[in-house]
Amino acid sequence: MKPVSFSYYRPNSVAEALHILAQEEEAKVIAGGQSLVPLMNFRLSRPKTLVDINGLRELAAVEADGKVLRIGALVRHQELLAHPLVVKHFPALAAAAAEIGHWAIRTRGTIGGSLVHADPAAELPAAMVAHRGVLVLTSARGERRVDADAFFYGYLMTDIAPDELLTAVELPLPSGVRYGFAEHARRPGDFALAGAFVEVAETGHAGAVTWFGVGGRPDRQEMELSPDASSRERQFAAALAEMDGPEDEVEARYRRQLAAAAAEQAYQRATASGRGN
Amino acid sequence: MQSVSESAVAGRPKTSVTLVVNGQRHTLEVEPRWLLSDVLRHQLGLTGTHVGCEQGVCGSCTVLVDGQPQRSCLMFAVQAEGHEITTVEGLTPEQGLSPLQAAFERHHALQCGFCTPGMIVTAEALLRENPNPDEETIREVLSGNLCRCTGYQSIVAAVQDAARVLREGGAVDTEVAAQGQNEAAGGEQA
Amino acid sequence: MSITQGPLKPQFTGARVTRLEDARLLRGRGRYLDDIDVPGTLHVAFVRSNRPAARIVSIDVEGALAVPGVHAVWTAEDCGITLYTERYDVGQPVLAKDEVRFVGEAVAAVFAEDRYVAEDAAERVRVVYDALPPVLTFDEALSEEGRRVHAHRANLFHHTEHETDGFAGAFANAPHRAQATFVTHRQTGVPMEPRGCMAQLDAATGRLTVYVSHQSPHQFRSQLTRLLQMPENQIRVVVPEVGGAFGIKAMLYPEYLVVADAARRLGRPVKWVSDRTESLLADAHARDNRHEVEVAFDDEGRILAVRDHVFGDTGAYPFLGFPGAVGEAGWATSMLTGPYKIPHVSITVDCVFSNKAPEGAYRGVGGPVGAQVQEGIIDLVARRLGKDVADVRRINFIRDEDFPYQTATGNVYDPGSYAESMEQALALIDYERFRREQAELRRQGRYLGIGICTFVEPSAGAESEAGSTPYEAASLRIEPTGTVTAALGLGPSGQGHETTMAQLIADQLGVDIKDVVVIHGDTDSAPFGGGTGGSRSGTIGGGAALRASQEMRQRLIKLAAHLLEAAEEDVELVDGHAQVKGVPARAYSVRDLARIAYTDVARLPEGMQPGLEVVVRYQPPLSATYSNGTHVALVEVDVKTGFVRVLDYVVVNDCGRLINPMIVEGQIHGGVAQGIGSAFLEELRYDDSGQLVTTSLMDYLLPAATDVPRMRVTHIETPSANVGGFKGMGEGSLIAAPPALAGAVSDALAPFGVFVTEIPVHPRQILEWVQGGVHSA
Repeated sequence: MKPVSFSYYRPNSVAEALHILAQEEEAKVIAGGQSLVPLMNFRLSRPKTLVDINGLRELAAVEADGKVLRIGALVRHQELLAHPLVVKHFPALAAAAAEIGHWAIRTRGTIGGSLVHADPAAELPAAMVAHRGVLVLTSARGERRVDADAFFYGYLMTDIAPDELLTAVELPLPSGVRYGFAEHARRPGDFALAGAFVEVAETGHAGAVTWFGVGGRPDRQEMELSPDASSRERQFAAALAEMDGPEDEVEARYRRQLAAAAAEQAYQRATASGRGN
Repeated sequence: MQSVSESAVAGRPKTSVTLVVNGQRHTLEVEPRWLLSDVLRHQLGLTGTHVGCEQGVCGSCTVLVDGQPQRSCLMFAVQAEGHEITTVEGLTPEQGLSPLQAAFERHHALQCGFCTPGMIVTAEALLRENPNPDEETIREVLSGNLCRCTGYQSIVAAVQDAARVLREGGAVDTEVAAQGQNEAAGGEQA
Repeated sequence: MSITQGPLKPQFTGARVTRLEDARLLRGRGRYLDDIDVPGTLHVAFVRSNRPAARIVSIDVEGALAVPGVHAVWTAEDCGITLYTERYDVGQPVLAKDEVRFVGEAVAAVFAEDRYVAEDAAERVRVVYDALPPVLTFDEALSEEGRRVHAHRANLFHHTEHETDGFAGAFANAPHRAQATFVTHRQTGVPMEPRGCMAQLDAATGRLTVYVSHQSPHQFRSQLTRLLQMPENQIRVVVPEVGGAFGIKAMLYPEYLVVADAARRLGRPVKWVSDRTESLLADAHARDNRHEVEVAFDDEGRILAVRDHVFGDTGAYPFLGFPGAVGEAGWATSMLTGPYKIPHVSITVDCVFSNKAPEGAYRGVGGPVGAQVQEGIIDLVARRLGKDVADVRRINFIRDEDFPYQTATGNVYDPGSYAESMEQALALIDYERFRREQAELRRQGRYLGIGICTFVEPSAGAESEAGSTPYEAASLRIEPTGTVTAALGLGPSGQGHETTMAQLIADQLGVDIKDVVVIHGDTDSAPFGGGTGGSRSGTIGGGAALRASQEMRQRLIKLAAHLLEAAEEDVELVDGHAQVKGVPARAYSVRDLARIAYTDVARLPEGMQPGLEVVVRYQPPLSATYSNGTHVALVEVDVKTGFVRVLDYVVVNDCGRLINPMIVEGQIHGGVAQGIGSAFLEELRYDDSGQLVTTSLMDYLLPAATDVPRMRVTHIETPSANVGGFKGMGEGSLIAAPPALAGAVSDALAPFGVFVTEIPVHPRQILEWVQGGVHSA
């Protein structure tokens, strides 16, 4: 299992990276490489050019400006899960980051890489949709901002263009709502079979559930969340029934059940402590 | 900006890379696609780093990159430039065994030995961050390193014992080591 | 042979001696196959079939040959070696010829400067296939309309029947009967070190050295000798450090023949190391069998008769000497009655070819499957009669007074501790208290269960996947400076033979274990032996080591007695010295004796040969010795997710005299972990088109540290009649764990009527059961 040959660039600035992406055919950005390199080893991914952005420290910052938290694309999962601003404002995101892969994966994998890879069972795409994040995409043509909900198309497919670089995500700081997260994976570190972020208003019953692992992309559904557990169970089941699942019917049914169980746990976490985990 | 020279073998250009591995500086000609695991093993002869899957799952190839455990099969050697790489050889004293390695020996925490370097590297990194990890933490951290021989039990015991030894300044308490063995023998009753 | 034992006080044997192997492995200095780097080596990448069944229309290698750095590309035309099994009239060409029969079958081999280039070129080999309908299940293989996997012969290649006299009457007249179908899906060993082979011709001597990650160096050499048509003394097989084997490395694989043949014909060293995808595609697969079982029993739960119809799928080809499905069915049915007195059996075995990967050995072979049936029927009877599962076991156990016990399947069990091991295990887990807690927890909506497996493990048999060498050999010499070198024909892969053999030898010779070096795995230095497999090494290899060192001891005593002018009976070996008993002043050190034996030979007694060297072959008196023990698993099933958590696990093990309890416990821990994989995680899945869909460790799930509980192990020692009293124990833990775990899930989900008969048990299946109501056998 060895990758095919490629040309390798290690730009020193975002501008340089964008220039290469604009010039080179079939170029691919590598950040942590924790999803990309296995695919390259399998020769399922065969970029002609690899643009290594690991040296671009300007993409590695986490900053809050009073309205949004801006997370650089190069922030590693292990940094994300422990970052004080993330833990403070987005505890469910921190909890989700802790569930990604294993330690040796989290120390290298990046938020940008995970979002662009767009595995439907991955935590971070769902976290972005759940928190109504905005992805900042930059290219030699300019910069654009895309709502997370619009960014993810389906299984490993997103709105990013070949010459674009995801430089950061922006999450509006939550006010009046709390989030909870839960997922079910076969073994710790495995991709989740299914999971959910639940958003609940601090007053009233307004809320939302963002599902992942069920359909081809994370799916956010707003709903009034009943305070009664068995009513919620029915709500979750009804919401999940509307979603497309895996082709295999038994598997689809199973994923929905796991998602519903995760949503209930996430709800408990959101309402119990507001800490998300 | 660094890019590769187009001078080498047609279609497979090589580039020069300087790696710092276990404190030693090496300048090598590598293809950009060569995995760090392969370069460590076959260019530098550091065969203690093992390759068990190249899928990023088994953890046998785990090395420290700037002190953090990472999969050397999921990294290209060219990417390691400018970073400190530490392999199991770099965690081994010139004579004898490190406290962690000695605990592995005392507790029979290895059988075929193939996953062992990855376990040592990961556990060493854990103990540097957390000198007193509980069993759950150890299991969670080691869940990224697969072992097919030991059932993990003795590995967990070894890491706990090594943590104790390191906290207590390196002295091996033979009584506790023996207790670990009794535990394995069922001395601990539920 | 009469050997003076003397007042031998074992110092090492039976003790928790830390391993002599460990330091090098911990330091990262172990030398595994892929660590052997020889300049000028050609690296191999195989082009593998992506079709389960197809005719090969054409193979175009031009594009591959054009890749810079490629030295050669071979197809069946270039290397026509066939692994032929006469008994079934089926051969596997080492590179597929005319037809491919499973996904992953090697079709062409690319030899290149490095593996990257070899893989580049392998992609450029163009194979045109003409698809054939694949045969993927027992039923397809056996059906009238089913296509033949090998056109010249039927898919059913192995059929046996065995019925005890009086079975029909016993079965028909029994007060109760029940039936269940037990299935174990395809699984495999997955040693962390993948398979590999490297070969190199010595230009000076013409000898071929073949390095291989393998369990049986001599068997491997014998096979190479025959298939390469080279004289045996022209082939040297070296088995380096082996990173796990578990049976799959006892097989002879086609790739090895290609590598060896290429090394001698291309004139360059040649190396191939399997990548993980290749391993999952083409390592020996195992299990994949169905047992249709009927059990007849009385009101007390006493089992009167068992009928078992076994279907086994061996895949496309039989491994040489070990067609996996036959081995699986053979072991499973031979051991079907386990520790129970079941007087009557009727057994039918049908094994078929299919378009799946060939099956070979995996630790325990059919043992776990047989144990699943053996324990499954006990649990089934208990459930039918509303009795406690432990009580039904008690009433059926073979008792101490029954030994030697001949089973209805023809085995003769030497003494064991079946009932005792279960009682101890139940006490360890506090069974009575658990039953009370279980009832209480169920009321809270928590589902815990206990599963029991009392296993019997045949070990040290005359035949195994390691071949049919009923003995093991040890050559032992004391070097002129007094250190000890032993060489054995074993093929360890983590079992610690360098330590356990040294323990036995050191005790006999009265020397320190650190003065004993045990070498193995090199046919130039090790005496011809059977290798490692079938849990034979500790018992038969240990027997050889013991006998050889006893013979050596006798020579030392004879020499010392002569030098000390004492009677042999009055001389003892203590702390590296031969001394007159109780008179340490009258002594010769082993070092001095060795020096005299080699360099001062005038002082030897008349008739004694110079030097200190012996070669001994040991063949045990029994055709097999039977280990036993009981595993009890305590699990909790989460009925919201279907996940099973193993909360507690106890093992009471009896493998006769222990050489090193620490190593024995390590073997048990590992086997239980593999059992957790087998029961809950591991499955090689083929889709309906015959593609293997579990080609990575992301799909073929191995147990991780978080899946395995802390286990508690205790020992009973019922010695065997073999020298030393040892019994083999390498497989019992993987034999016992899957049934114990499956039984625990059945027990936990009894309120839902669930009775597990198929493993691995998938979480989604559990939810289907829990929500779908009764699933009862």
